[in-house]
Amino acid sequence: MMEILTGNEVMSGATVYLDRDGKWVEKLQQSRVFLKEEAEARDAAIAATKKTMRINSLEIETVTLRDGVIYPDRIRERIRAEGPTAPRMDRQHLDGDGHVSI
Amino acid sequence: MYRYDEFDASFVRERTAQFRDQVNRRLAGEINEDQFRPLRLMNGLYLQLHAYMFRIAIPYGTLRSKQLRKLAFLARTYDRGYGHFTTRTNIQFNWPKLRDVPDMMEHLNEVEMHAIQTSGNCIRNISTDQFAGAAADEIIDPRPVAEILRQWSSLHPEFSYLPRKFKFAMTAAPSDRAAIKFHDIGLKAVKNAEGEIGWEVWVGGGMGRTPMVAKLIRPFVEHENLLAYSESIVRVYNRYGRRDNKFKARIKILVHEIGIDKMREEVEAEYALTKGGQLTLPQAELDRITAYFAAPEFERVNVTELDIQREKTLDPAYGDWLERNLHTHRAPGYASVTISLKPIGGVPGDCSADQMDAVADLAERYSFDELRVTHEQNLVLPHVRVSDLREIYDVLVEHELATGNAGLITDMITCPGLDFCSLANARSIPIAQEISRKFADSGRQREIGDLKIKISGCINACGHHHAGHIGILGVEKKGTELYQISVGGDGTEHAAIGDILGHGFVADDVPDAIERLVETYIAKRTSADEPFIAAYRRLGDAPFKEALYGAQ
Repeated sequence: MMEILTGNEVMSGATVYLDRDGKWVEKLQQSRVFLKEEAEARDAAIAATKKTMRINSLEIETVTLRDGVIYPDRIRERIRAEGPTAPRMDRQHLDGDGHVSI
Repeated sequence: MYRYDEFDASFVRERTAQFRDQVNRRLAGEINEDQFRPLRLMNGLYLQLHAYMFRIAIPYGTLRSKQLRKLAFLARTYDRGYGHFTTRTNIQFNWPKLRDVPDMMEHLNEVEMHAIQTSGNCIRNISTDQFAGAAADEIIDPRPVAEILRQWSSLHPEFSYLPRKFKFAMTAAPSDRAAIKFHDIGLKAVKNAEGEIGWEVWVGGGMGRTPMVAKLIRPFVEHENLLAYSESIVRVYNRYGRRDNKFKARIKILVHEIGIDKMREEVEAEYALTKGGQLTLPQAELDRITAYFAAPEFERVNVTELDIQREKTLDPAYGDWLERNLHTHRAPGYASVTISLKPIGGVPGDCSADQMDAVADLAERYSFDELRVTHEQNLVLPHVRVSDLREIYDVLVEHELATGNAGLITDMITCPGLDFCSLANARSIPIAQEISRKFADSGRQREIGDLKIKISGCINACGHHHAGHIGILGVEKKGTELYQISVGGDGTEHAAIGDILGHGFVADDVPDAIERLVETYIAKRTSADEPFIAAYRRLGDAPFKEALYGAQ
């Protein structure tokens, strides 16, 4: 089982993902993928994120890797990553001051 | 129309200043999200899948032009140039930034609007018949009483933390256009044996995962006692409603579990203590509020019968619009116009800022500055002269608002679904769009006649699927969106909950499934005068099941 961390940035509400460098970024494909045996690191990242107080609705999402591409298991997460499908419109983006690191 | 008094104005100003401070403290890290969430929700600010969503109250669905223009301004300035009208006759903006919301609230205050009690376990926006004050069939204008209930329920100290949210709907016409029997309390204006007008009170209706049609709790309550009786119901609910399980917390569950007779007994006991007290509504106060809703000074105009068949020959689109989008007005020579927010292939309930401005201009010029929002996610110009209809139509055409489909198969209620909503399990909007495209042909829609399709993206039923002649409920199973189809629901005075016909369909198969239901109806109706819902009641669900799943 593989997992990623996702949430919504506090100012814009934009969907964000924790990347490998500990930054919360817009792109799903930059997400850090946690393996089953990395639960401790995952939980530490969650705790550090909560301390920033800038990421809301923090969730663990299960994903599948297909040829190196991260594919969320839930439809909901696929839509969150891309933005609304109908009407098709761009997702919310972070403001200049919306970047969060742990 | 009601106008804020000094108390109202100062209260919403103070609330806005308070919220600005709360936002600043949240952004400065002085309060965390767990502390901030209830504060933002009290002010109508949700966090959805992609962004915040700001829900603004439109009390009893009534707007003035300058209010709609202000909503257009907010859409342009702080959102993405559009808003979404909802089944509670509110408007939602899907893309605001947190820092901007206090500014948006300040702008709303300038036009006597706010977002208070558009979330939370309190008494929500009270909805009414969209033709209130205009309809030929109503016995009074229900909005003055709706306004009194709004004032009573706003920031009611006892009812700010109910077991669950609580919704009123009211109508004063025999034709229920406000779905009152699917509300926690439904009120219908009626005359008693002495010819006095009062309120028939229904309780315990609702949709969601446990749909219930409301039960009659009292056949007649006088105006002066309506607040006392309403307070008695909500007090009994607040006392006995379940708080241990949010899925069983609505009043409909309480009424179902203890039964309407026991509920009535409890309410009457409370009413005996409340009646005649400080909640008695003085006639002078009712008169004062009623004066704000005084009917416009309608001109005495020469009544010319509309020859719709002739207009259809000359200009079919205009004729179709006249045929479907007008409602009979109580003043001779006037009509109420439904402005459809359901263009073919569009998003039900969405309205661009430019369209809002255009509609506001029309209301100002042709409808005594009045507008309505319907629970079916359309807009209404309530009071227009029949002689102005062509000019109005031409402006609507210019702004892509002239779809003549009110009450037809493409006039669907649709919740935002999984494209926006954090509660949804499946998308609703693309299903509505595909059905709309499939039935785009105007002649085909008219051949089918009155048919209400209602679509929800989860069991919470914001898209009223239980009350759809054809209801569609989106669910997720093993990573796939599936859509259950029900038939026979009805949100009118003949309220009924639809029957699920069988297993769900994948999204691509839904429009064809709807087509098969429609074909079955057309093949089996007694004549074109028998609407879908009447045919269903006569036939039962067997032929519709067979249409979807074959002979059982």
